[in-house]
Amino acid sequence: MIEFLQSARSYLPILLDGVAITVGLTVAALVLSTALGLLWALMRYSGIGPLVLISKGIVNGVRGIPILVQLFYIYFVLPEFGIDLTAFQAGAIGLGIAYSCYMAENFRAGLEAIDKGQIEAAQSIGMSWGLMMRRVILPQAVRTVLPPYGNTMIMLLKDTSQASVITVAELTMKGQQIATSTFDNITVYTLVALLYLALSVPLIVLASFLERRFAAR
Amino acid sequence: MIRLENLHKRFGALEVLKGIDARIEEGEVVCLIGASGSGKSTLLRCINGLETYEAGRITVGDRLVDRASPQIREIRTAVTMVFQRFNLFPHRTALENVVEGPIYVKGVPRAEAEERGRALLDRIGLAAKADAFPGALSGGQQQRVAIARALAMDPEAILFDEPTSALDPELVGEVLSAMRDLADSGMTMLVVTHEMSFAREMGDRVLFMDGGLIVEEGPARQVLTEPKHERTQDFLRRVLER
Ligand SMILES: Nc1ncnc2c1ncn2[C@@H]1O[C@H](COP(=O)(O)OP(=O)(O)O)[C@@H](O)[C@H]1O
Ligand SMILES: [Mg+2]
Repeated sequence: MIEFLQSARSYLPILLDGVAITVGLTVAALVLSTALGLLWALMRYSGIGPLVLISKGIVNGVRGIPILVQLFYIYFVLPEFGIDLTAFQAGAIGLGIAYSCYMAENFRAGLEAIDKGQIEAAQSIGMSWGLMMRRVILPQAVRTVLPPYGNTMIMLLKDTSQASVITVAELTMKGQQIATSTFDNITVYTLVALLYLALSVPLIVLASFLERRFAAR
Repeated sequence: MIRLENLHKRFGALEVLKGIDARIEEGEVVCLIGASGSGKSTLLRCINGLETYEAGRITVGDRLVDRASPQIREIRTAVTMVFQRFNLFPHRTALENVVEGPIYVKGVPRAEAEERGRALLDRIGLAAKADAFPGALSGGQQQRVAIARALAMDPEAILFDEPTSALDPELVGEVLSAMRDLADSGMTMLVVTHEMSFAREMGDRVLFMDGGLIVEEGPARQVLTEPKHERTQDFLRRVLER
């Protein structure tokens, strides 16, 4: 045990660097996936033929490709077309796009759960589509969307570990590096697991808090 | 004020409105009756631009109701609607429901809109419920708030689609009395209803719809007590038996 704590003390600073990258990557991918997911969901909800088709195509297309392959594609193939990205940028964009499809499905479910009478009421007092979305539909959709949104956030946090394959120096990558040089697999991977847990637990608590908070009204 | 000429509306193969002609004059209370499925809601929804129509014309004042034109929003604020299932915004309080349109659609300053909103809630006897959410109100109270919400737009006319059909019987009276108050104040109203007593008492005219057509129309008392058409007679007999 004492041995564990001693090695842990020497590994921890390196691993915490990885934690910072993991958090940064999660936040960046979360922002991008939320924005894109909302866009896909609104395109689908608009009922406008071409927009619905594009949205369906993107969501189903992207969902059918493994995240790993998407990351390889963005990091290794795009430079051949003159688009150079850092590993972090490629990771954030890849995860953001991959997760935008899960987000879109969450948002769509939330939008479609809303009583059609709300649309009629909004229209009958002369609201434009944009105003109706902003004032009537989205605020209500938020309630149904938050619990699955919280879960998707936790999945995303864990999936940032996949970015290690394109050399993003996040937590899993740092762990691997220490483990290969020290062979201290037990200590290193126990620490890595505990650090991921320490990151997800607040998200789990936040998600269930929001869920309770929005169910109250 | 509202004029329908040879209005045709179909849903796929189903022709719901087969050539409706009707006029509603300013200040008039017109009741629209007819069996379920005869197209009454569809007719109201066409007037409000919630549905498109294939042929004919609907005009409100001198404006053509055309769902595709940008003017449609202006018409919707001029002719608002009260729904069978209230359709209040559940995430907003009674007062917020009432001032939503004035503030965000018409651009009325919040303080002014709220003062007016409170006065409207007071008028329908719900001043004390201004800060209550719809979920905490009875059906009758919700429908009265919906009426205040429609009124807050300063409409030229209000369309009512079976405003009391979703209510427990003991709550019907309070909604009808709010509507009576409106009618007395000179509001132009087109009311789809199964409340024959309201139609008889408040209706200037009654239109009877059957099979996508207006089969009979005339002064309320005449249509309801001495209907000329057999189909009107059948319908009234069935309604009154219930
Ligand atoms: N959006 C729709 N799509 C297809 N059919 C519809 C739609 N709305 C109404 N209908 C049909 O049109 C007919 C008239 O409906 P409606 O106007 O609601 O009648 P009412 O209000 O008189 O009961 C019914 O047969 C109904 O099933
Ligand atoms: Mg109806």
